[in-house]
Amino acid sequence: MTATVPPTENHDGGARREAPARPTARAWARENLFNNRHNSVLSVVIAAGLVVLTIYGARFLFVTGQWEPVRTNLTLLMMGTFPRAEQWRVVVQVYLLCAAVGLVWGGLTSSSRDRARDAGIPFSRARLRDGIRRWWPVFVLLLALLGMTRTWLPLGFVASALTVGVVARRAMEALGAVWRGPAWFFAGICALAGWQVVSGTGGIAWWWGSALVAAAVLRTTRNVRTDARWQPLARFALIAGAIAVVWAVYAQFDFSGVGWDDWSGFQLNLVAAAASIVLAFPVGLAAAVGRRSKLPAVRFLSVGYIELIRGVPLITLLFMGDLFLGFFLPTEDPLSKVTRAIAVMTLFTGAYLAEIVRGGLQAVPRGQVEAAQAIGLSAPRVLGMIVLPQALRAVIPALVGQFINLFKDSTLLSIIALTEILRIRESIHGQREFLIVGIAETLVFVAFAFWALAFTMSRESQRLERRLGVGER
Amino acid sequence: MTRTDTATTKGADDQAMVTLEGVDKYFGSFQALRDIHLSVARQEVVVVLGPSGSGKSTLIRCVNRLERHDRGRITVDGVELSNDVKTIRQVRRLTGMVFQQFNLFPHLTVLDNITLAPRQVRRMPRHEAEDLAMELLERVKIPEQARKYPGQLSGGQQQRVAIARSLATEPKVMMFDEPTSALDPEMIKEVLDVMQELAGTGMTMICVTHEMGFAREVASRVVFMDEGEIVEVGTPEHFFIEPAEERTKRFLEQIL
Repeated sequence: MTATVPPTENHDGGARREAPARPTARAWARENLFNNRHNSVLSVVIAAGLVVLTIYGARFLFVTGQWEPVRTNLTLLMMGTFPRAEQWRVVVQVYLLCAAVGLVWGGLTSSSRDRARDAGIPFSRARLRDGIRRWWPVFVLLLALLGMTRTWLPLGFVASALTVGVVARRAMEALGAVWRGPAWFFAGICALAGWQVVSGTGGIAWWWGSALVAAAVLRTTRNVRTDARWQPLARFALIAGAIAVVWAVYAQFDFSGVGWDDWSGFQLNLVAAAASIVLAFPVGLAAAVGRRSKLPAVRFLSVGYIELIRGVPLITLLFMGDLFLGFFLPTEDPLSKVTRAIAVMTLFTGAYLAEIVRGGLQAVPRGQVEAAQAIGLSAPRVLGMIVLPQALRAVIPALVGQFINLFKDSTLLSIIALTEILRIRESIHGQREFLIVGIAETLVFVAFAFWALAFTMSRESQRLERRLGVGER
Repeated sequence: MTRTDTATTKGADDQAMVTLEGVDKYFGSFQALRDIHLSVARQEVVVVLGPSGSGKSTLIRCVNRLERHDRGRITVDGVELSNDVKTIRQVRRLTGMVFQQFNLFPHLTVLDNITLAPRQVRRMPRHEAEDLAMELLERVKIPEQARKYPGQLSGGQQQRVAIARSLATEPKVMMFDEPTSALDPEMIKEVLDVMQELAGTGMTMICVTHEMGFAREVASRVVFMDEGEIVEVGTPEHFFIEPAEERTKRFLEQIL
């Protein structure tokens, strides 16, 4: 081919050609489903099976299914024996948590927006449609729950809670970068207060709350610089004032009374799983790092912990925790049943997480550590900034899998007589009118509640993987 | 054995940036370094040559304590290496190292790779560290790659980022461990150019390399190693034209 070829002439492999168009549905089906006789037969059989399954499923869900036991006992399933007079606490908690999530989410969105702007990359914020597509299992669960209620109150509650979250998020996006730091603290305060209002863990939280508020004020005023001599004094006054407000607010509410032991139903599953996940993660990290430590004592302890726990069934551990965990602790008042259960689940999951994380640590090439050492990073920074981020990224699927296991294993709490959702479901069929009514339906309901959330966790983990996969070598 | 290193052209010991005296290193029962004596003067560019397994890499890896030497003394800018963590970090701050496999941090952008050490070790504020990083990227001629991740760059670009990352700690000695061995042929030159420019600024350098052209043009002295010991040390002219040792001659015959 020479350079004198006129541009209008078309040669194979010469001039740039358009990318092949996306095939139509018809063409795609012909190519992939009906491309030969065997495949065609297979496609037809499977399609017929799917149709039959869908019809039966829909009939069960909407026509023949007896959902009355679920409908009647929805509150029981969700909140169990939580005192009805204290339900407002849960409502307040949900509002506060929504606000916290909204603040953090909005902060993250606006910071990635700023980073995209710095890097000159176009940024489009997530729309409602994206949100629904991302969280659809949760929305389906919410819809199913709302469909079962007898009054409009729950609908108003869910709608207003979502609104609180969205407003908090929008506010964070509108406010500048200066507010992002303080927002973490306000989110923390919201989460803490949400925790407080339900669990009623007493006076300690007053101090946590005060510390958080003080830190928030410090963080906010950090960038305000004047030469005035009164500045430290003003800052001090501001902190004192903020703390006074916190205490005044705290004093308005009665935080005592509703402790762990009143928690039950799906709420207990959620809280026990969430608490164990949050607590088990650092335990697992520490044990994984400890297992590779150069200090024999640390290594021995880590290996002992991991291998001891992994060799014993969770049910056995739960019984043991229930029966004699209290004896080992130097405390006068016995720990509540739920606390002991969470401790056991934390220790159990921590051991498994440790082995997962260790696998990730081994996957980080030695050269990474050497390069980090060579530029003078201290050992903790080498671990925290170079090794762990890469190690954890490599094991996200296994980590989240373990978290999902833990969430589902929370149903085992029923064997130590905690009234989690599965146990409540059993007790529903002890009620005279539901003795033999809707036994399958209640089970399907419980299964669906777990599935919707576990599936969401799985999807979120895949999303996280994709996002962190940027620049994978 | 003609060991001329004890009386270098630049001479006096207070001038020396890096000294190794009687250094031995074992891996199990295998002796990787045998009684190494070497003194590198300020602003000197020393190129270490030798067949693979001769202990070249081990030699420079002992200088910043990526390997621990078993006998002898190693001093960098007057600081003697000991088992003390603070001393080790001090020595690592004085030295920069560039690896054969680049070893960039894949989870950080190019900019973050470079600013990590200034911000964490030297406590430099972010914007100052980023200004410094951009300056260094200009020097290695890839400022436009600042926001990318290492995986998105070519080998030559990655190695130049690695050089910039090392320079960001403002080291007094730069050590190169076969910096071009993992590169495609067409990218070797861009890295060697950067190294040559760096030598021109008066940086003290110890380079383990197989690039004979670089050794000939840039080195102040060439060190030839075999089986864990220093066989011969001399100027490039001496080394390439009239090597004294039989082993050196054999090595040169094989590669040239």
